[in-house]
Amino acid sequence: MWWKTVVGLLFVSMLVGAFFLRPARDRSGLDGSGKQHEADRRLRLMTWNIGHGNLESDTRAHSEDFPAVAELILRHDPDAVAIQELTGPDQLNRLLGLLQDRYHGFAGSNGSSDRVTAVLVRVRPGKNFLPQFASVPAGDKFAAAATFLWTRELPEIVFISAHADASKASRRRTFVSDLIDWKRQKTSGKTMLIAADLNFEVSTQKQAGLFTDSAKHDSESYTSLLKHFSDLGRDAGATAVNARRIDYVFGPLGALATRAEVLRGAAIGRMDHWPLLVEITF
Amino acid sequence: MITQLRIEFLKLIRSKGFYLSFVALSAFVLLMLWGFYSYAQEKTSGLAGEQFKYTYESKSYFNGLTFTLYSLIFAFSLVIPIFVAMNAGSQIAGERRTGTLRMMCIRPVSRVVIVVSKFLVVAIHAYLLMAFFIGLNLMIGLLFVGWGNLELYPGPLNLVDEPGTILRKEAVWRFFYASFSGTWALLVIAAVANLFSVLFENPVTAVAATLAVYLTLYIVGRIEFFVNLSPYFFTTNMDFWRDVLKPQIPWASFNYQAATCGAYIFGLLLLSIVIFERKDVTN
Repeated sequence: MWWKTVVGLLFVSMLVGAFFLRPARDRSGLDGSGKQHEADRRLRLMTWNIGHGNLESDTRAHSEDFPAVAELILRHDPDAVAIQELTGPDQLNRLLGLLQDRYHGFAGSNGSSDRVTAVLVRVRPGKNFLPQFASVPAGDKFAAAATFLWTRELPEIVFISAHADASKASRRRTFVSDLIDWKRQKTSGKTMLIAADLNFEVSTQKQAGLFTDSAKHDSESYTSLLKHFSDLGRDAGATAVNARRIDYVFGPLGALATRAEVLRGAAIGRMDHWPLLVEITF
Repeated sequence: MITQLRIEFLKLIRSKGFYLSFVALSAFVLLMLWGFYSYAQEKTSGLAGEQFKYTYESKSYFNGLTFTLYSLIFAFSLVIPIFVAMNAGSQIAGERRTGTLRMMCIRPVSRVVIVVSKFLVVAIHAYLLMAFFIGLNLMIGLLFVGWGNLELYPGPLNLVDEPGTILRKEAVWRFFYASFSGTWALLVIAAVANLFSVLFENPVTAVAATLAVYLTLYIVGRIEFFVNLSPYFFTTNMDFWRDVLKPQIPWASFNYQAATCGAYIFGLLLLSIVIFERKDVTN
C-alpha cells in the first residue's frame, strides 16, 4: 500500500507540475504596441506567396483572388510587399490597379519558369523616393529587387522578393548563395532586406527526421543567410499549411522586428501560404 | 524492497539480453564511426566546395563531440528504445512464461513491490545503457576523430534555431546531463512495456506491442498529415531530453516536458500495479 501511495503521489505531482509548468509563448516585443514613436524610421514589410496549393491544376496566383489580396494589403498598409507566384506582369498590373495606384510595382524576369516574383513599394511624394527596380539572377531563377530611399537619414534600402525551388534542396542552396553573392557585389552601403518563400524548414518546432542531404542543404542555406542577415519572422510561427515555416523576412544583422505576425486566416481560395507581416525600426 | 531489488538486479546481470544490449550498442558506435569518418573525409576533401561556395563543414566541425551528438541522437531514436522495451516487456510476462511468477506471488512480498522493483531495475538498465553509450562515443570520438568544440547549426537535427557553439568542457558536462534526461525519457517506453508485460502472457507480445506503439507514434509524429496530433504523442514529449544539448537550455519547456513524461511514467506504472494486483496468476 505504501509503495502504491508513493507512485500515486508521484503521478499526481507530475501531472500538476506539467499543468503549471506549461510554457506560455512569449510574444512580448513583437506586437508593435508602444513602438509608434519613430514612425518615420519604421518599415512595415509583407511577404506573401499567393499561389495555390499543389492539388490545384494551376498552382500560380489566380486573378479572381486579387480583390481580396488587394483589400488585405490596403488594410495592413505595408510599406513594401514581396509577392510570389504571379503568372507575369499582366497580373501585377491588375493588382496595382486594385491597389488604387498606391504602390509602385515590378515583376522580375521569369527566366525558364512559368511564374514570377514581384515587389511593391508604397508611393511617396517626391522624386527622391521613386524606387528603382531590377531582376536578380539567382540559381536558375530570378528574384525581383526594389531599391528606394525611405528617409533621408537612412541608407538606401534594397528590398528583394524571392522564391526558391520547392522540390530540390540543392537548388535552394545555389539560389541562396547567389543572392548572398549579389548582396556582396551590388549593395555596398545599402540596407538589404529579403522577403521570400524559401521553401526550407529548419525550425526546432518540427520533430527531427533522420539526417538527409536535403535537410543538410537547407541547414547550409539558412546558416549562410544568418551570417549576413537576421531572421525577422522567426517568432511568428508557421506561414504555410501543415505548420510549415517556409516564408521568411531577413533584415540587416542585429536588426530586431518590433512586430512579426503571420496573418492566419488570410489565405484566399486554395492558397497554401499566409502573409507574413514584419515591422522593423531602424 | 531492498532484497527484492537485489534479486531483480542479480537476474538482470545474469541474463544474456543484458550483455547483448551493450554489444549491440558497441556495434552501432562502430557503424557510426565508419559512416561519420567517410562522410567527413568526403566533405573536407575539397570536392564538396566545388559545387557549393558556402559551407560550415570543416575539419574543426567534424570532431569527437559532433560525432557523439549525431551518434547519440540516432541511437536514441532507433536502437536504445528497443533494448529498454525488451528488458521492460519481459519482466512480468517473462516470469509468467517461465512459470516463476506464481511462485514469486506466493512469497511474502507484495505484488506492488514486485512491480516497483522490476521497474527500478529497468530504470537502472536504461541509465547504464545511456551512460555506457555516451562514454563509449566520447572515448572513440576523442581517439579516432579528434577533439574540439561542439558546433551546432539549424537544420538536420532540429536542435537549434540559430548557429551556436558549446565549448568542449561544457559540452562534456552536457552529455553527462543527457545521460539523465535521456534515461527519464526512456522510462516512458519502459512504463508502456511494463504495462504490456502485465497485460500479456507472452513477453514477445509485450515487447512487440511496445515497439509497435513507439514506432507508430514516432513515425506518425513526423508526417505532416498529423501535425495537429503530434503534440499529444508521448514520443513528442520524449524529445525534451535533447534540450540539454542546446547552447541555452530552454528550462521552461524542459521542465514542462519532463513533468509530462513523469506523468506518463508514474501513471502507467500505477495502472500496471492496479492491474497486476487484481490479476489471477494461474500458470
